[in-house]
Amino acid sequence: MSIELDVSEEQYRRLCDFLYRRTGMVFTESKRYFVERRVIDRMAAVGLVRFSDYFTHLRVNALDEIEHFVNSITVNETYFYREDYHFHCLTKDLLRRRISENPGAASLRIWAFPCSTGEEPYSLAMWLLENWPPVDSYNVEIIGSDIDTKVLRAAREGMYGERALMRLTPDLIRKYFLQIEPQKWQIIPELRESVQFSRVNVLDIAETQGQGKFDVIFCRNMLIYFDDASRRRAAENLYESLLPGGFICLGHTESMSRISSLFEVCRFEDAIVYQRAARKE
Amino acid sequence: MIGEAKSVLIVDDSSIVRLYYREALEKEGFRVDGALNGIEALEKLLVEPVDLLIVDINMPKMDGLSFLRALRMKELPIASIPALVTSTESTQKDIDAALEAGANYYLVKPIASETLTLYATVLSGAA
Repeated sequence: MSIELDVSEEQYRRLCDFLYRRTGMVFTESKRYFVERRVIDRMAAVGLVRFSDYFTHLRVNALDEIEHFVNSITVNETYFYREDYHFHCLTKDLLRRRISENPGAASLRIWAFPCSTGEEPYSLAMWLLENWPPVDSYNVEIIGSDIDTKVLRAAREGMYGERALMRLTPDLIRKYFLQIEPQKWQIIPELRESVQFSRVNVLDIAETQGQGKFDVIFCRNMLIYFDDASRRRAAENLYESLLPGGFICLGHTESMSRISSLFEVCRFEDAIVYQRAARKE
Repeated sequence: MIGEAKSVLIVDDSSIVRLYYREALEKEGFRVDGALNGIEALEKLLVEPVDLLIVDINMPKMDGLSFLRALRMKELPIASIPALVTSTESTQKDIDAALEAGANYYLVKPIASETLTLYATVLSGAA
């Protein structure tokens, strides 16, 4: 089967408009080559040879096909203990503040969103076990969410190559992983059970609210994919997902102050973090 | 630890807590298994008795105290396995209730790993 990909500028623009309306993700002319490669992959997968036919298929089967398309487009490369200054901040400052401001609270809920293939939520669980002695006195819930069902499957399976483990000490690898093959490690069952995974679209308030309220949200390097309008909507939805006084950590190149005025800026020793005000004004 | 490794069953619904205690105990040479609640713990004990139980109080399905009462009533050797109750509840009333239900000792969470292994060693007779 030879796939013909003669996409006019007009067609490319319509495809990008469609993707934007459905996912909030912005693809510009500069991403064209990248997007077209994914389109070809998807056309081959569904057995269509003309772009116009695929675009029709995408619109008609929007729910299913868009999920496949997004799965193929989102870049999911990460590793354990990435940008760990936030983890230091979590155990040194954020959890301490949450506990001192809510004496008697039995549970602590942490959200890793987007979680991709699970490195971040598992890192959080490992970090707490290693660095936070009161870990046994709270019902700690760690939830990993992503829009991409394929990465969620991989996250639940918890199987990783050497690259993902590069920041971990041999001691941590020995404690929390089982070596399955020479170059493959799987998270031990109890650690896998410690993290729950769910599919969530950050732009859908019903879906974000369905996850309940959180003490701390890790939302690193997701908002950079969005345009201003979607970014604001995502920020508002995340704000609604925080308990009063809860914190959100963004990637080091991201700034909530440029997106939304809902949050208060908190400067800690290790990181800048954003907070939902403790009381309603 | 001298002699054969002592075995411990951790009964706690939080997998993070089970993992945390397991790491501490295995480092000191204990063999460790886990159960999510009292029912699962009873099932496991009937198959394979252990030297020590570490039991949380608040758990779904069968809480720690109901589990201990059920265990102590059995006319089987497992009825006398020593039990260390661990809980965030710290009033004398909570402690008395646990001892009455059949706990041998009570530690208030958070529990440092050295404290946990020390009491596990003493209670399991591993010293």
